[in-house]
Amino acid sequence: MRIRNIVTSTLAAAVVAATATMAAAQSYPTKPITMIVPWPAGGSTDVAMRAIAEGASKILGQPIVVDNKAGASGTLGPATMAATAKPDGYTVAQMPITVMRLPLMQKVSWDAEKSFTYIIHLTGYTFGITAKADGQFKTWQDVVTYAKANPGKVTYATPGSGTSLHIGMEQIAEAAGIKLTQVPFKGGAETNAAVLGGHTMLQADSTAWKPLVDAGQLRLLAIWTADRSKIWKDTPTLKELGYPFVFDSPFGLAGPKGIDPKIVQILHDAFKKSLEDPATIAALERYDMVPRYMNTADYNTFVKQVIEQETAALSKIGLLKKD
Amino acid sequence: MEILSALGHGFAVALQPINLMACFFGVFIGTLVGVLPGIGPVSAMALLLPVTLSGSPEAGIIMMAGIYYGSMYGGSTTSILVNIPGEAASVITCLDGHQMAKNGRAGPALGIAAIGSFVAGTFAIVALMLVAPWLAKFAIAFGPPEYFSLMVLGLTVLAFLTQGSMAKSLLMACVGVTLGLVGIDQITAAPRLTFDRLELLDGVGLIPVVMGLFGVAEILANIERSVQREVVSARIGSLWPTLQDWAYSKWAIARGTILGFFLGILPGGGAVISSFASYALERRLSKRPEMFGKGAIEGVAGPEAANNSAAGGAFIPLLTLGIPPNVVMALLLGAFIIHGIQPGPLLITQNPGIFWGIVASMYIGNIMLLILNFPLIGMWVQVLKVPYKLLFPLILMFCIVGVFSSGSAVFDVFVMTVFGLIGYLMRKFGYEPAPLVLAFVLGPMVENNLRKSLILSQGDFSVFIERPISLACLIVAAAMILAPLLPVLRAKREAVALDQE
Repeated sequence: MRIRNIVTSTLAAAVVAATATMAAAQSYPTKPITMIVPWPAGGSTDVAMRAIAEGASKILGQPIVVDNKAGASGTLGPATMAATAKPDGYTVAQMPITVMRLPLMQKVSWDAEKSFTYIIHLTGYTFGITAKADGQFKTWQDVVTYAKANPGKVTYATPGSGTSLHIGMEQIAEAAGIKLTQVPFKGGAETNAAVLGGHTMLQADSTAWKPLVDAGQLRLLAIWTADRSKIWKDTPTLKELGYPFVFDSPFGLAGPKGIDPKIVQILHDAFKKSLEDPATIAALERYDMVPRYMNTADYNTFVKQVIEQETAALSKIGLLKKD
Repeated sequence: MEILSALGHGFAVALQPINLMACFFGVFIGTLVGVLPGIGPVSAMALLLPVTLSGSPEAGIIMMAGIYYGSMYGGSTTSILVNIPGEAASVITCLDGHQMAKNGRAGPALGIAAIGSFVAGTFAIVALMLVAPWLAKFAIAFGPPEYFSLMVLGLTVLAFLTQGSMAKSLLMACVGVTLGLVGIDQITAAPRLTFDRLELLDGVGLIPVVMGLFGVAEILANIERSVQREVVSARIGSLWPTLQDWAYSKWAIARGTILGFFLGILPGGGAVISSFASYALERRLSKRPEMFGKGAIEGVAGPEAANNSAAGGAFIPLLTLGIPPNVVMALLLGAFIIHGIQPGPLLITQNPGIFWGIVASMYIGNIMLLILNFPLIGMWVQVLKVPYKLLFPLILMFCIVGVFSSGSAVFDVFVMTVFGLIGYLMRKFGYEPAPLVLAFVLGPMVENNLRKSLILSQGDFSVFIERPISLACLIVAAAMILAPLLPVLRAKREAVALDQE
């Protein structure tokens, strides 16, 4: 009797819990959603994410509150979320590629595959290689020719070691059969100054070089997106130059692990609609970001691919975690 | 003539009622965040950035710029009154500014800080207007070897920051350098001294350290000696600088202005370093070095002028190259881009209204700040009369809110608390926080630029003496260290040494 009681009440409790979850999923969202943006307010990623969130909140019918939690190359926010947030769909985070990369380089508190519920893939950045306009390099081929004759003499500025720019450049160099020397700086402001002042021969960075390229002070030698840019129509992509790469440091949206698939679906649909909204597209264009939509399943597969690719690339340049 | 008509056009933009209001609002908020310890221009601008979206780009950017240079005005206030820097660039103002307040001369200290700021701010705008494109070339001539040598020169400033024992001061500098090592090594991307804590990957924050060492430590130290404070409030004295003060300050302001301006242009240089450098320069040149640390007015005038003209100089690389030389300018760049405007070489020709509008608004803003700040001096001085039992909990609250808002991380509040305790112990045992802060700022830059230089030169050290700017910096640094050994200067050095005992 007693056992049956326990069984019944346990069952009842389970039923109640399940109904509650279902009810939660059906009525979701009933309160504002917090979106962690792991970059400082006012930066390109922050503004782009705010624009995407605004579009999504119109569809969800609840405001999306942006919480800027910058630090640790954009991983502090997602890591905090993985450690502390409830998987109820009311806390989500922008997922930069560093969330997958950093665990390969050092000890961290999360597992990129297991600690998150990936929701939707959104977009990526535009990267490019620039040289001084009045310098010796007129095309990327000039760089390759010079570097073959002078191994290691070609220097390039990046916004930091282990960034997508550093890893990308090394992969390109390997494919081209040349040896380049990386000089890591702190962000696009310093790399622009370095190449403009002739301290390094090249620069690899996101479009912080835009005003200088437009003014004819820097020359854009190659662009790393899948297709040619609408603005710099004459610059070849890596694929056109014969390297099978697209590097755009892609990012999407995820929550802590264990979010109800129904809630994931609701979030996915809302953010997908926002990504198709002309207002969102216009906001992304300002930072030279192109929408790169992937659904939940594809995003999960993509995460695995990224981890594999990053492991291979990092081991080649010796940045893989040693243990 | 062309410039005059362009400037006239700029004033037409800046004097539109809405832009005038934006300017006033900006400098007012700037003064406020400058005064409040911990809350700096970065957090204020980040918070207000979305607000500017609804208005015109001119109004938005004029307001954001106003917050920045306004905060440089306000920063000295709490340094002088309660020995707590309003922001990092005002750390050095504590040394003599607060001593002046203790001597009943808070008014003149605040007055000279405001005047120095005004002169420097105005000079920076004129220079920005006339020679911006040429100066931008100067900024990019600085590569890693030049930065390394400049920072080495910066470290020699240590010798002039010391009030007490040189050994203790060097020890504090070592602590500062070590603290600066914490975080991801920029060259190899390997974490150093992070103890697997994600919060430490970006290093220890400057603001929490400064607020802890100065703000929290000052409060702790005052709890046990509240009686002494009566002396400060009893003798407020005259509010205005005397003729004698002027004589001491005028060249300090001029030198600080020029020094700050050039350091401000350099990416990564900026207001903090310029104020330290100006203080050292004044002490070096002073006919009364023994007065430094005891309330020398030129020790307030020089650094305050320097950090304001650095703020003005920082606009040059942003407006002419699209390169933001510091975090605040990066935020301003964000504001430009949100409004669909790209600062850079084409800004002046493509958007003359914006460029000249900002320049003109900065003239107006500086005058507003002077008008705003002078009547406030009388009011600020009254703050000294507020009982400490009310004042200090309030300051502590502002420190916590400020440090939290700068990175919205509770971890930073812990860092501040720990450094507060360390700072308190340092005071007890006669260790000074200023050398620690200087080494903490410069140490990582020295290391980083040394390694980058050597990557570029493929391991050849001669790069530092082959490049003229670098060589010049190293020669001046050597002169600063070796000068005391020369007989002519020995007398002066002895005066300094006497003071140290």
